[in-house]
Amino acid sequence: MTKIRDSYDALVIGGGIAGMQAALDLGEQGFEVLLVEKYPSIGGVMVGLNKVFPTLDCSSCICTPRMAESAHHPRIQLATYAEVRGVERRDGRFTARIERKARYVDEDACIGCSKCELVCPVDAPHEFDYDLGARRAIYIPHGNAIPQKAVLDIDNCIFCGKCEKVCPTECIDFAQEAEEVTTDVGTVIVATGLAITPMSRKPEYGGDRLVNVMSPLAMERVQSSNGPYGRVLRPSDGKIPRSIAYVQCAGSRDRSIGVPYCSRVCCMYALKQALLMRHYVHDVEVTLYHMDIRAFGKGYEQFYRRALAEGVRVVKGKVAKIDEVDNHDLVVRVELLDEGGRVEERRHELVVLSQGLVPACHLEAVLPIEEADDGFLHTPDPKLNPSHTTAEGIFVAGVAAGPKDIPDAIVEAGEAAMAAATYLTARRANGAAPAVLH
Amino acid sequence: MSEGVHTEKAPKAKRPIDLRRDLRGGVAKELQARVKEQNRIRKAIRAALADGPRTVPEVAAAAQTPAHVLLWHLMAMRRYGDVVEVGERGDYPLYAVKEG
Repeated sequence: MTKIRDSYDALVIGGGIAGMQAALDLGEQGFEVLLVEKYPSIGGVMVGLNKVFPTLDCSSCICTPRMAESAHHPRIQLATYAEVRGVERRDGRFTARIERKARYVDEDACIGCSKCELVCPVDAPHEFDYDLGARRAIYIPHGNAIPQKAVLDIDNCIFCGKCEKVCPTECIDFAQEAEEVTTDVGTVIVATGLAITPMSRKPEYGGDRLVNVMSPLAMERVQSSNGPYGRVLRPSDGKIPRSIAYVQCAGSRDRSIGVPYCSRVCCMYALKQALLMRHYVHDVEVTLYHMDIRAFGKGYEQFYRRALAEGVRVVKGKVAKIDEVDNHDLVVRVELLDEGGRVEERRHELVVLSQGLVPACHLEAVLPIEEADDGFLHTPDPKLNPSHTTAEGIFVAGVAAGPKDIPDAIVEAGEAAMAAATYLTARRANGAAPAVLH
Repeated sequence: MSEGVHTEKAPKAKRPIDLRRDLRGGVAKELQARVKEQNRIRKAIRAALADGPRTVPEVAAAAQTPAHVLLWHLMAMRRYGDVVEVGERGDYPLYAVKEG
């Protein structure tokens, strides 16, 4: 694997859209950047989305050029399948400890031909498809992955040796071990992204036990042409669903689960998926149960109106619980707020829970920074310096600072890169040594 | 070789794959069982589709496997080119074994 150098100007943690944007903006200004991504490919959540709102552009078509730019930029070095284990301030700079996980594949030798994947006899749930699809024990992470390099999931390997035999470059390396490396950086940008509220937080919705109650990210994959089914089907039996419900605020604006804030994207992604569902399955009935629709961004209200015009049903109602009935259909018990709070039970074939956004990870033990009460990174000056954290020289971009959509994440990443560049330049002007030893 | 000279064949060095398997204590029993079940279901899917295209519930009934489990395996076979979608019957797509 590519050697991590002793020193960089900047460390960017997280290779999603915000991290890539911050790395590119710093690289374009002449700074040397190390971009660390914990998964085997950069691209983050965005590369797995189907389309983006409100333009309905193909998400991976927008994301993959940024991925390629990041990978090929002369001043950005990628370290995929790696995690930052610790960052300490030392003499005005930072020392970062980074664990590089074992791929059991020589990254430099692998040509991404997939021959190993095709002969591997073990299928395992594919994380990229939220376990709805399968991948092999050795696999290329997905079609748009960067780098296009195989990774061996050793927990699912039966050591049959077929991958070794078929590999044209002899890059399978069972002797590879994880390693920890240390590097010195001038500044850090945290762009660790998002997770969604766990299904288990709302047991009354049955998300962790009812097979036809889905997460919105899983539905993104189902709607994708390269998704697990290649078309929209429900997971219980491969049926083309004719009646789908979206339950809004199923993990946001809910003090009972410790997520009191609005996640800002759920109304729009649900409307987008609902509208697309009408395109993919022409006679489908799609109903959104919501408290109120928040369509605040550029072109978002128009998109909401378009969804209504194209037949998406929007019902002001709070869903109390979801039960499974015969044939894995679902009964949604809803309080209809526009009908005086009348309670009704409605049958659907598939339900998507509009879960909220929470931080992907907690970094207080890794970096000398503080989190806010909601778990996102604390930004003490959110109006004037939204990317500044509680630590000088450490900045934040994207959902690591709080829920936001893709355009806002990109804007904030640019701001974080500019703040980091200003910090580095000021330190150099004050006599700090150049960051990188070439 | 002269009589009385004792020669020992040097033990063959273990390959990295064998060393790694030993280091992990062999293949876990759960994984062995899962692979066995995977092979059983795949065989049953091929048998069910031998007489022509079928839907997921039809194949699941023939394979005596829950439909959601069957769907996962069928989609795995589709992903790697063993099965193709060939049409629809009612609300369900039809799948067939890929020729050749």
